[in-house]
Amino acid sequence: MSSSFREALESGKFVVTAEAGPPKGTDISTLLHDLDLMKGKVDAINVTDNQSAVMRICSLAICKIVLDKGMEPILQMTCRDRNRIGLQSDLLGADVLGIKNVLCMTGDHVLAGDHKGAKPVYDVESVQLLKVVDGLNTGKDMSGNELKGSTHFFQGAVVTPEATPPEPQMLKFQKKVAAGARFFQTQAIYDIDKFKEFMAFARKFPVKVLAGLVILKSAGMANFLNANVPGIRVPQELIDEIRGAEKGKALETGMNIAARHIRRLKEEKICDGVHIMAIGMEDKVPVIMEKAGLL
Amino acid sequence: MIITKKKDRKKLLESMGRYNRFFLLGCSECATLCGTGGQPEIEELKTELEAAGKTVTGGFVAKTGCQALGTKVELKQFKEALDQTDCVIVMSCGAGTQSAVEIFPEKAVYPSNDSLFLGNMTRLQMFDERCSLCGECVLDLTGGVCPVTACPKGILNGPCGGTKDGHCEISAEIPCAWVRIYDRMNKLGRLEEFGQTTLAAKDWSASIKPRKLNVREQKDKKSGGEEKKK
Ligand code: SF4
Ligand code: SF4
Repeated sequence: MSSSFREALESGKFVVTAEAGPPKGTDISTLLHDLDLMKGKVDAINVTDNQSAVMRICSLAICKIVLDKGMEPILQMTCRDRNRIGLQSDLLGADVLGIKNVLCMTGDHVLAGDHKGAKPVYDVESVQLLKVVDGLNTGKDMSGNELKGSTHFFQGAVVTPEATPPEPQMLKFQKKVAAGARFFQTQAIYDIDKFKEFMAFARKFPVKVLAGLVILKSAGMANFLNANVPGIRVPQELIDEIRGAEKGKALETGMNIAARHIRRLKEEKICDGVHIMAIGMEDKVPVIMEKAGLL
Repeated sequence: MIITKKKDRKKLLESMGRYNRFFLLGCSECATLCGTGGQPEIEELKTELEAAGKTVTGGFVAKTGCQALGTKVELKQFKEALDQTDCVIVMSCGAGTQSAVEIFPEKAVYPSNDSLFLGNMTRLQMFDERCSLCGECVLDLTGGVCPVTACPKGILNGPCGGTKDGHCEISAEIPCAWVRIYDRMNKLGRLEEFGQTTLAAKDWSASIKPRKLNVREQKDKKSGGEEKKK
């Protein structure tokens, strides 16, 4: 069976993916609850891989839980914690569990996380990992050894349209396409006009692009993102819009902004879908989708 | 050169608590330039040890501390002082310390420094790490800027999403290696190559420890071979 996420993208439908962040600890009740809320609404769920280098349940295990719920997981794989043997071995494991989608990333540095003394691995990086997946799909491991049974992945990568300077980032995007990336999920974008410029470039390549959206909870959060998260730029007029909202309505304004952006991306056919990163507010994903007219 | 920094003095003195008579061995090369193993540092440590009630039987700045044979010869003149010593404190790098272990197989040898990296001196006593001795140099493909060392993730194929205004996501004080490489390749008129070549994952077997190199053996073999031919 092929990836239903891939089929959705290829059908020309405006695709929605959301994120499930595995918890730190074995209590997965909130995660299960959030998955239930999103089931039947989103096309696939990205399961993050020790996001921000903070140690949590592994992506592979939660992907299996997503599958068991009858949902479509996207396995996020970073190169920070495993060498080429570990990565390939986990990829083979993911395939036999029925996981069809993998998102290849280099991964945040250990210094960003909660185990700063850990040894960062980075034996390979995102572009090389895409090649590894391509190799496993055609029955060969990284050393060129024949596999008894190849994998069946639909592989993707990330791109940061707002990285500064943009030129080297765009060259890297091209390298990822050449290395076999079939879809891209972007870092959060807030400036649709600017994103259109990026898409004019990305459309030259045979890949699907999902625009990344992070819900703004408050003007403070927007300022924090601008100051601390490289590659994210929230325009001042959006910050003003949230600041100008009635008391207690900041989150709702943030959700309205996200919904408005989704509508525009879809109506103007700017990209192939959206990737909603709710970061702890997964229950709001269906609300935003409804506001955007997707449900 | 090998960059060293002084160990925390309080901890150093504690760790040597069981010994009483010391010989201090510096190095005239890297450690002198780093300010960790020259004559002034020997004097300084001597004063500190004496203040702690210890005896310093002698001190010497070796020409090249990582060269055991030469250092051994240089140390002959200190035989008496060394005989009275129960611990040699080496004030150079970890390699120099282990030369001393070779020279004094029966004596305690302690390092007074932590060895940090292979460094370029940018200004007096200021050092940058530019090469991590990976064993398989890619500088020809990266405009002469080392991604293995200058990028904290050692990425070989372009910047991660974390570059901001040309800085690394790890710290605004680190310029992004891949923005530097991009700029260099641009200046060299080789951008197209930058975009089109994907560097393969490195062969880390070239840096499996402990590494050894015997250039002499290779030369001997070569000349030996030629002789045979004759
Ligand atoms: S690639 Fe970098 S680490 Fe390797 S030898 Fe060259 S400069 Fe040194
Ligand atoms: S910002 Fe640049 S130097 Fe820093 S980790 Fe990313 S690619 Fe490497």
